[in-house]
Amino acid sequence: MLSESPWFNLPFSLPMQDQLSALLAQAAAELPAIASRPAFEAAKARYVGPHGGLTALMKQMGALPKEQKPLVGKLINETKTRLQSLLDATLARLAAAEIAAQLGPAVDPTLPSPDPAIGTRHPLTLVRNELASILRKAGFIIADGPEVETEYYCFDALNTPADHPARDAQDTFYLPADVRFGNVAKKSPGERYLLRTHTSSVQIRTMLQGPPPLRIIAPGRVYRRDTVDATHSANFHQIEGLYVDKNVTVRDLKALLDYIFASLLGADTKVRFRPHYFGYTEPSFEVDLSAQHLPKVNKEWVEICGCGMVDPLVFSGVGYDPEVWSGYAFGIGLERLAMMLYGIDDIRYFYQNDLRFLRQFA
Amino acid sequence: MKISLNWLQSYVDLSGLAAAEIARAITFLGFEVEGIHASGAPVLAHVVVGEVLTRDKHPNADKLSVCTVSLGSVLGVKTIVCGAQNYQVGDRVPVALPGAVLPGNFVIRQSTIRGQSSDGMMCSAKELGLSEDAAGLHLLTDRPAPGAPINSVLPPGDTVFDLEITPNRPDCLGHLGVARELAAWFKKDLTYPAVHFVPEHASPTPRPDLLRSLRVDAPADCLLYTATVITGVKVAPSPDWLRQRLTAVGLRPINNVVDVGNYVMLEYNQPVHAFDARQLAGQAIIVRHATEGEKITTLDKIARTLTAHTLVIADAERPVVIAGLMGGLDSGVSAGTTDLVLEVAHFRRQSVRATSKRLALASDSSYRYERGVDLHSLDEAMHRCIDLLLATTGGTVAGPTLRVGGDVPWQREITITPAYINERLGFALPAAEMQAALERLELTTVRTDPTPDRGPAWTFAIPSWRDDLDRPIDLVEEVLRLHGSDQIPAAQIIAPALLADDAPIVAFNRCVTDALVGQGFNECITYTLRPEKEISQWATPSESPASTGFDKSKIATEASRPTSDNPKSKITGASEALALANPFLADQSHLRPTLIAGLLETLHLNQTRGGASARLFETGRIFLAHDGQTWECAAAAFLICDSERDRTWLRRAPADFYSTKRLVETLATAAGIDLVRQAVTPTTAPSHGWQAGHAATVGELQHRGWLAQFGLVDLALVQSLGLEGKIHAGLFAILPEKLAASATRRRHADFSLLPAALRDLALVVDAATPAADVQKTLAKLSRAATGNAFALESVSVFDVYSGKGLPEGKKSLGFTLVFRAPDRTLTDDEVNAALAKIQTAITADGTISIRA
Repeated sequence: MLSESPWFNLPFSLPMQDQLSALLAQAAAELPAIASRPAFEAAKARYVGPHGGLTALMKQMGALPKEQKPLVGKLINETKTRLQSLLDATLARLAAAEIAAQLGPAVDPTLPSPDPAIGTRHPLTLVRNELASILRKAGFIIADGPEVETEYYCFDALNTPADHPARDAQDTFYLPADVRFGNVAKKSPGERYLLRTHTSSVQIRTMLQGPPPLRIIAPGRVYRRDTVDATHSANFHQIEGLYVDKNVTVRDLKALLDYIFASLLGADTKVRFRPHYFGYTEPSFEVDLSAQHLPKVNKEWVEICGCGMVDPLVFSGVGYDPEVWSGYAFGIGLERLAMMLYGIDDIRYFYQNDLRFLRQFA
Repeated sequence: MKISLNWLQSYVDLSGLAAAEIARAITFLGFEVEGIHASGAPVLAHVVVGEVLTRDKHPNADKLSVCTVSLGSVLGVKTIVCGAQNYQVGDRVPVALPGAVLPGNFVIRQSTIRGQSSDGMMCSAKELGLSEDAAGLHLLTDRPAPGAPINSVLPPGDTVFDLEITPNRPDCLGHLGVARELAAWFKKDLTYPAVHFVPEHASPTPRPDLLRSLRVDAPADCLLYTATVITGVKVAPSPDWLRQRLTAVGLRPINNVVDVGNYVMLEYNQPVHAFDARQLAGQAIIVRHATEGEKITTLDKIARTLTAHTLVIADAERPVVIAGLMGGLDSGVSAGTTDLVLEVAHFRRQSVRATSKRLALASDSSYRYERGVDLHSLDEAMHRCIDLLLATTGGTVAGPTLRVGGDVPWQREITITPAYINERLGFALPAAEMQAALERLELTTVRTDPTPDRGPAWTFAIPSWRDDLDRPIDLVEEVLRLHGSDQIPAAQIIAPALLADDAPIVAFNRCVTDALVGQGFNECITYTLRPEKEISQWATPSESPASTGFDKSKIATEASRPTSDNPKSKITGASEALALANPFLADQSHLRPTLIAGLLETLHLNQTRGGASARLFETGRIFLAHDGQTWECAAAAFLICDSERDRTWLRRAPADFYSTKRLVETLATAAGIDLVRQAVTPTTAPSHGWQAGHAATVGELQHRGWLAQFGLVDLALVQSLGLEGKIHAGLFAILPEKLAASATRRRHADFSLLPAALRDLALVVDAATPAADVQKTLAKLSRAATGNAFALESVSVFDVYSGKGLPEGKKSLGFTLVFRAPDRTLTDDEVNAALAKIQTAITADGTISIRA
């Protein structure tokens, strides 16, 4: 390296020049072996520090003949620059080595992360959220009510007569007469507590809370005293809808259900109403779907929900004037809908929570 | 409810309509068709009527006969080998000739049976596909001409619809009711059964020797009772047509008297009952309530004990029928009966229902009374029944029908305008179509009044069998039914904004779910109803305030929350407070007091199926018993099982108590509660599912309205459940009404940009002393030491140490104190002076020392 410099090919030689060359050669030999910052600092002091070799040579300048001074001064500066660049390179090498030591070997990016994967929402939650989002666009907000209900909210207010079979202890879970609930109020002291058999009780609670107009959905858990099998479960989930306003018509109800199922299942879904009977709606309908593109739907029409126009008696019961207000209500079984949407053929899967099941719906 | 198409055809002409078309009509009339079944004789070629001329024993077989059978003048006489025993010479029977193919692809050939040639086969009802009766030949008792094709003498095949009749339409529990609906749908005429009997036809001579008196002692439960004496009855099998109709709808024919009763019930939806008149003690019928403990053995041969609420039909001595439900075993019609008393009555539905429930006894009759029978069609049904009894038994009516009740006439009218109907429907139908539809359902227009702007106001008389039609809205449904509810036109949704928001509990659940899903938890849904043993494992016992670390000063400010001054309930333990009155399954008998038991069950299922580790959560209602009351709470819970059994190339540190603490804080935040600021109570004794020394609670239900439990699940419990590994969990529960409170808007607090002064301080305390207590003391003393000069910004634990260098039973807590002034850089001197004061103060009482 030194021999390549034009400076060392001068036609003459000077003692100073030899010393400078020796200093440089020594640095070039020593610095690459330095492996730590303290060693580097010590070396740096030996070459360019106040007591270092270069400083000592510079002090000899004064003793030189005047005519040599410019040339030697130039040589010293040249040497200083060279030394600095050797030192810089050494420092850079040390810093790089330090970073390399911090990093360790390169990662194998193809190995999987050992951390828990993102969690999953239950398929019933997904379907509920989807319905809620569809209905929110039509202005429905989510209302809530207790799962432990009284006979008034679950039956009486919904126009279910006292001797109706649905109220039988054979079909409905009751709580013992002497159990008292701190935060579920009875309408009258003689009522029994029960586990709600439908989310329609939320209709009553919502209407009693305030005046119309209102537009709610009430998703929630309901209970029937039923044998558990592939399509029945001791508790299951419904989503209830209620719309109360002036001049609400059967056609409005049909339009809403058309919209819900087209949003959920695609525009080629057909919806039809069949007359049916519910105590709290008049007229009442069962709703059938025709969506043959879905898995597990091999019948032409599949029953999916019940609905109807709110019976005037229900309105009178909650203090709404049935001459002024009209409305509709509907109830959809969430499990049934989820089974259809996802092609699940056993309701018990929803309650077993096998992770291989849950993770399919992330 | 099974409905026979042939039977319907008696009232309405449905010929030319395919079964599918009729089923569709029934569907849109509002009755679900659960099944369609073909029954009756199929088309059978080469099967004709034959008359048995001779019958001789088969020479080579004991059980076979060799018969000659006349098949009429064209086909002549054939020889047939036959194994049946139920026929005699002279009987006419179906004969299948070679070439016939019977149901089941049974081909008839010329054959030789044990050496005797046979020209065909005489057939049973089963072989012809008529019924399941294979006991003997199907005797043609109407004696059709020999040689006639069998299809010309058998009734045509039938189609039976299995219908679900909704509770509002008991009239359609009879064929006549369904026929009326179909006549209206297809715009055809309805022909009522021709009733020939009129009371004047009865023999004028009463027979007091058979029935002397009728008395109704319970008129509230028996609204109408009629008793008709029919004498000279011959009990015998019913004619074929009657047997076929009953068989078609699934009833087994018994004899002419019983069959006629069933027939009229299935025609008019009016139950009837016949007694053997000679079995009535005292020739009296008394409709009364049973005396307590009175006994009757019903037709099903079960001895039943009655109560004072049971309505019975009694003779002078004893009950003979449980009214509307079932007759007694010894008063019924038997083969030797010659004189009948026919009961056609109307019992109050609630009475029949209550008795049916009490006795756990139901019948076709009670089913109809419970749903509703038309009192005002009773006479018509009775006359029809008498007609059929006279025709099939050869009896005569003796004397006038005895009758008590039924005095209230039926009258109901509804006035409605086409404008009202159109407004409710949301689309316009022609007025004429509406009126015609209602009239086809036998609502008659009794009056039409003009209105200024709403079209004609029609007043319709409602027929007595349509008790469900009571208000104008009910007629809207009738119009729509007959128009076709699949014809509702599409429309746009009109949805004006209501400026309302979701219930707070929805936001809570959503927030919790988002947070936990983001942290790798899988959402589960488990059953609310749990076994009793779980309640003792998990139900939080009624806490006393002292044990929960709750702040007594809160009582006064939250007086509105119900406290223990409620009247005492008998309910004391959680197990009673959460029990169902009528559980269905033994292991689903109680309301859940926690979500964690369900998550453990889920974990168990997953561990059994292979995966040891899991992160699970659920949101849902739980039920907490407290001080004699039960509270329904919104809750969220999670469970972490980091198992070493699951192999991974890089193992992370497993979750621990402090993982659950942070997660529970996250859940509480979703409810607007800052858990960090709340007192934590360590779980020190084994209780309700948590491991003592490794779990804690914050908050409590009664005064705060919320509570959190978290930490390690009781290890012994975990092992007893067959689960592997340490399981950490957390639960946050809150009264839903607590969620409703809206959060106050936060105010911004300014912060200093000047540098802070940090000082570390290591304190030696008893190992059992909670860090939070020391921290609280330190913070208080530090504030006192700095006074107003500058501020203590924070005190935080950076080190916890025990062991070498410390006395036994002691631990060292290292705290970092951060001091700052809003307006200047603090000097070392002033901070050190404050620190010296703090050190002096904190060691003053001797329980805390400075670690050297």
